Amino acid sequence: MPETAVLSIDIGSTYTKGGLFFVEDGRLRPGRRASFPTTTDDLRRGFAAVRAALAADEKASGAPVYFSSSARGGLKIAAIGLTPDLTLSIARMAACSAGGKIVRAFSYRLTEEEIAELETLAPDIVLFTGGTDGGSEKTNLHNARLLAASRLNAVILYAGNRKIRSEVLSLLADKEAVAADNIMPDVGVVAIEPARDVIRRIFLEKIVDGKGLADVVREVGTLPKPTPLAVYDLVGAIPAACPGWDDFAVIDMGGATTDFYSYTESFRGGDAVLLKGIREPVLKRTVEGDLGLRVSVEALWTSEKPWFEERLRIDGLDADGFAAYIRSVASRIEAMPATPIEESYDALLAGACVRAAARRHAGTSTRIYSPQGAFRVQKGKDLTRVGRLIGSGGYLSRLRDGRVLAQACADAVDTEERLLLPEKPLLYADAGYLFPLLGNLVAAFPEAAPRAAVAQLLKLESTR
Amino acid sequence: MNIILGVIGSDCHSVGNKILEAFFSENGFHVINLGVMVSQDEFIDAAIESDAKAILVSSLYGHGEIDCEGLRQKCIERGLEDIILYAGGNLVVGKSPLEAVERKFKALGFDRVFGPNVDLHEAADMLRADIAAKEAHA
Repeated sequence: MPETAVLSIDIGSTYTKGGLFFVEDGRLRPGRRASFPTTTDDLRRGFAAVRAALAADEKASGAPVYFSSSARGGLKIAAIGLTPDLTLSIARMAACSAGGKIVRAFSYRLTEEEIAELETLAPDIVLFTGGTDGGSEKTNLHNARLLAASRLNAVILYAGNRKIRSEVLSLLADKEAVAADNIMPDVGVVAIEPARDVIRRIFLEKIVDGKGLADVVREVGTLPKPTPLAVYDLVGAIPAACPGWDDFAVIDMGGATTDFYSYTESFRGGDAVLLKGIREPVLKRTVEGDLGLRVSVEALWTSEKPWFEERLRIDGLDADGFAAYIRSVASRIEAMPATPIEESYDALLAGACVRAAARRHAGTSTRIYSPQGAFRVQKGKDLTRVGRLIGSGGYLSRLRDGRVLAQACADAVDTEERLLLPEKPLLYADAGYLFPLLGNLVAAFPEAAPRAAVAQLLKLESTR
Repeated sequence: MNIILGVIGSDCHSVGNKILEAFFSENGFHVINLGVMVSQDEFIDAAIESDAKAILVSSLYGHGEIDCEGLRQKCIERGLEDIILYAGGNLVVGKSPLEAVERKFKALGFDRVFGPNVDLHEAADMLRADIAAKEAHA
């Protein structure tokens, strides 16, 4: 019998959300939805509640279940590289694109103090890189010895100079250590896929270990994905399935973090433009642990204060009231705005997250005057061709106009040094908040899942 | 044997750079070519990651002295105490005799200095000998 429906469930840090999808003529049609507070002590209960609510539809009986989990706030990764601008920056990219969260990054030779810090942070994975293949050896061997002597319980993933891989692994023999191909085999060459795959596998082993998730896996017969990876895979599948979707970005904002995904060629080239540093990948994810509407709101207020003060003045809002609102929601993840004023405060906070996340994701272009004429030097990723920008997550998926998302866009001025932000993209809301759920279905429905995601987008008026 | 190659500063002359890359590659070196408009830190980052034995700095536009100033100190500060530094090209404005240019750049910490008409085979031989001497010393 051909399958007629599938279930997709996302175990988030606050809510477990699910959706039923009907499979019709190779398309996915969204059906019933359900959500339940995540039962962090035993994830099975929340999962079962959502599954039961979805299965109340008789067509859902026997439907396969796909699921993702961001429980425990995602996978904690500490990144080690040799130089900050080369291997360490690539290690960050690899960790983010595998759905991880970087808790700390180290370069050069580790010190005893840094090892102590690592032990305190207790990451799930230490992504240990450095050196080109056949390149630097001494620093890695030094770092391997310190890691070996530490009290760390993390999985150590070695993805540095391949020539000394077996030496590094034998130094780490008493640790849980694995290896992947070098993330930078030659200077400036980015090769993050092998390390990414291993991080995914480690995620499964780690996350399935505890909190009842192993039982969920046994029950449904499929393995979970990290939630950010589900969105990452969906973003990566859209261009092939949806004509015209070649350059776009997705901002997924939650209570604690803001994720920015871009799909666009990193460097456009041209006669008088030069790329410096690493050429970033076409599909890139960054995650900002200090940008969020609730948990990280006080850090946000501090880091973006001048912008907030200007906006409060322009919008005619009371700064003291805003500060009080920030204090009151910081400790309450579920807090919802109660008045129109509080709604405008939330819009301001959301705008600040969107703005900062976009600015950190985007590269820069600087004008340089040389004896051979004026040039532009680009560093990082060019987002100027991003023609569509999608807001996802609890808050952004409910947007009804484009003002908040427009904060991700460039101011229309050509300056000596400018950020390579999207210029005038069309703005959309993930109106059904379906991105994580459809991300779980990408492997099973490589064309239908991205098409269903794009079909339900709500186009927003892009007034600023 | 890894060596780093690049044109320093705001200099965009790329033809000589390509010739040097091809020549040294054909002569047994693994060339990491950073291209044009390379900063001091980019040279040093690349040398650290690849454990390069030498950095070959080109400058064609006359500002070489200012661009190269401090490179040796920076190498030492960042842990490359033993790196071999070569400079070559039209290193200064005007028609200074090569000996004067050489004095200037050796004072900046470069091991060898080459004018625009250098015989590349000779330069490659010198580089091999210099690297061998460093390794024997280490």
